[in-house]
Amino acid sequence: MHKGTIAKKLFYAFVTIMIVLVFNYILFRVLPGDPLAMMMRNPKATPEMIEGIKHFYGLDQPWHIQFFTYFKNMFAGDFGTSFVFKAPVIQVVAGRILPTVLLVGLAEIIAILVGIVIGVLAAWKRGTRLDVGTLGFSLITYSVPTFWLGMIMIVIFCVGLHLFPTSGMFTPGKSFISTGAMLHDLVKHMVLPVLTMSLVLIGEYALTMRNTLIDVLSEDYITTARAKGFRERYVLTKHALPNAMLPMITIIAINFGFIVAGAIQVETIFSWPGLGRLMYEALSARDYPLLQGIFLLVTVCVIVANVLADITYAYIDPRVKN
Amino acid sequence: MVRIGKIVITVMLILALCMVPMGCGGESDVSDVHSFTLGSSVAFDTLNLLSSYMQVTYEFFLLVYDPLVRYDKNYDPIPCLAKDWEISDDELTWTFHLQEGVKWHDGEAFTSEDVKYTYELMMDTGLGYMYELYLSGITDIQCPDDNTVVITTDAPKANMLMNTTPILPKHILRAIAEEELETWQNENPVGTGPYKFDSQGDNFVKVVKNESYFGTMPNVDEFIFVDYENLDALAQALMLGEIDGATNMNPAQIKQLQADENIDVISGEELGFMQVGINCWTDSASKGNPLLLDKNIRHAIELAMNKQKIVDMAYDGQGAIGTTLLNPGDFFHYEPTAEELRSYDPEAANALLDASGYLDKNGDGVRETADGTPLEFDLITIADNVEEVKSGQMIVSDCAKAGIKLNNVTMDSGALYDKIIEGSYDMFIWGWGSDVDPTAILDILTTNQIGGNNEPFFSNARYDQLHTEQQNEMDESKRLEMVQEMQRIVYDEAPYIILIYSNNIQAIRSDRWTGYKQIPETGTYFFNLTNINYMNIKAVE
Repeated sequence: MHKGTIAKKLFYAFVTIMIVLVFNYILFRVLPGDPLAMMMRNPKATPEMIEGIKHFYGLDQPWHIQFFTYFKNMFAGDFGTSFVFKAPVIQVVAGRILPTVLLVGLAEIIAILVGIVIGVLAAWKRGTRLDVGTLGFSLITYSVPTFWLGMIMIVIFCVGLHLFPTSGMFTPGKSFISTGAMLHDLVKHMVLPVLTMSLVLIGEYALTMRNTLIDVLSEDYITTARAKGFRERYVLTKHALPNAMLPMITIIAINFGFIVAGAIQVETIFSWPGLGRLMYEALSARDYPLLQGIFLLVTVCVIVANVLADITYAYIDPRVKN
Repeated sequence: MVRIGKIVITVMLILALCMVPMGCGGESDVSDVHSFTLGSSVAFDTLNLLSSYMQVTYEFFLLVYDPLVRYDKNYDPIPCLAKDWEISDDELTWTFHLQEGVKWHDGEAFTSEDVKYTYELMMDTGLGYMYELYLSGITDIQCPDDNTVVITTDAPKANMLMNTTPILPKHILRAIAEEELETWQNENPVGTGPYKFDSQGDNFVKVVKNESYFGTMPNVDEFIFVDYENLDALAQALMLGEIDGATNMNPAQIKQLQADENIDVISGEELGFMQVGINCWTDSASKGNPLLLDKNIRHAIELAMNKQKIVDMAYDGQGAIGTTLLNPGDFFHYEPTAEELRSYDPEAANALLDASGYLDKNGDGVRETADGTPLEFDLITIADNVEEVKSGQMIVSDCAKAGIKLNNVTMDSGALYDKIIEGSYDMFIWGWGSDVDPTAILDILTTNQIGGNNEPFFSNARYDQLHTEQQNEMDESKRLEMVQEMQRIVYDEAPYIILIYSNNIQAIRSDRWTGYKQIPETGTYFFNLTNINYMNIKAVE
């Protein structure tokens, strides 16, 4: 791709981020609900106390002053202080990134790989029992409520088989004798949330893969390739798959962008200390600075993932390159 | 294609291998450390006592810090950092004699200066949101020596010995600038309490026994507070033995836990209530329905409500039907007389509305005023509170039978708070947590709190006057009379219809632990404003 084109794309990405930021800022403030509600709904709170807190967080300033202060501080690297945790937003958010990326990232990778394999097999063996079976599996996992699936996982693997712990990322309060022991504890806690998450995601990938591949397989150039006498497998991997992968790239890129947004439901069922759960907590407490911090992070990731997808596209699809 | 297949198989194999050792050799580290893990659905906010307001953090402070006096199992004051005290004849000067040889967790000596510093810091800055109100009325604090604190008040202070404000270390706090105290990250809390802070993770806080504690030693070596986002997972974790105790469970979970013989589950009374708040704002700025200013309509709504059915259906029977602002088990509770009591009586509700001139003239099932305005109000409930939403639906159908039309509106708590502050609501359902001393919970309906905690915009001169006087009444029986009169006023005026005194459902693994009991007698194991169970619980031999 042309260097100028890439620069242009990056510029547009930056503009988009800025617009989203302003939009987020306004959106949260248009939402009904006072951030002090959760903080100060305490019979022991005096009106003076509430005034003091408002002043401390700058909530007593007119909205336009708050708006400019927010942007000024943001460009200086200060994303404000969380109302609930009383700590810098950067610090609160940073602590939750790794758990979320670990959980959702791993689940995405598993789901993509398994989903593609299932989709390709189903399309290739279209109409056979294999197709019907995998199609049913994909439809079920795609439509099953995450919350329910998580509880079923706990009932089977924790209550029934006593294989894994129910929640958390590590055994709470445990000090580990070695890194190995710590990793072992982590993996033990990770299996169920990752499994639940990937099961939910597999369906989307498998169904998309199957449908696009079926479309591609019915095109004339595939018939031509077969007529040339190529083996079925060669036609599939060299002629059909590259074209069928294009919509997949889009889905994968978008989903990867959302990895940092976490998975609210899975994180809640398994009490996984991730960003999705943090976002929910922040929203219900009207913790504006924290919400803005998380949304900024998600925005940046989604936009970066899209830019990357655009660039990748250019390499995979010669039509886009020209 | 083939390559992808290989990767998938490899990943599967790795996962399978991970599972193998877990099944058999998982928990091999058996040690003789007695560790108690308490799971709860409420999360920690900050370990900074000056700006914290969460219930579970309060428990942590009960273990790590000490107040001058603590509550015993009947909520009477007992010595803690203060070994004894006396009050002057004019009842304005309190002299507290402190325990000698008390050390902070970091080894520094505790002195009377710490007490003075903590109280003055909270009074000057308004920080210490859970405690500051208890310091009102204090005008001067003197430290004649390291072990004596002399506190002077502007008027006799009835709740002086109900003040369990934890004492903070002056030598640590004075190094922090005042404007930074609100967001100070108390990363290594130092107290004098029976437990020391050990560590904090994403979803837990751990404390360990303070071996050099000046008072009676607790039995358990360490407590770990764990935050569970999901109540079903919390119950499973308890049944599986991953945790030793659980709090704030759902009424629907009791039966499941009772079926487990290794678990002691209780539905203990907690201080506080759920109420239907009614907009009583007489100001022209009020956006509430002015018909609700008629006390007879408020009374009729209460008469029409089948509270027992609400307790049984919405709360699975866990709780008691409500009447006045203070819990029935509370020393200060006022129980309405048989004449005053407005228990469920749809006929009485209809009769009262008939007598007040609200008749259904157009036959649509809804009563109207003389000029034709229907008795139709919005009842707001908080969307994610299942019990409150159910209660709201039942109240709607109860009131319909009395010819009052209620529209059930759900929204989230933040949005409801906005409506309340603006006075742009008719009725809502919400709750309050209460306290041992009645001053704080009675304060919410004083005129001074309008625009703040006074949700129904209730104003009554006699009530306000009594609220001030009871704070200065040292004769307990006289104070009781005043506090009861205040509750009677509110019951008669009905700005709040107290729906239910709710319970907190808690459980402990009885196969592993013993020595705990409900505090007070019908109360809860934890979250009861004392650290008695933390101190007394011990492992089963």
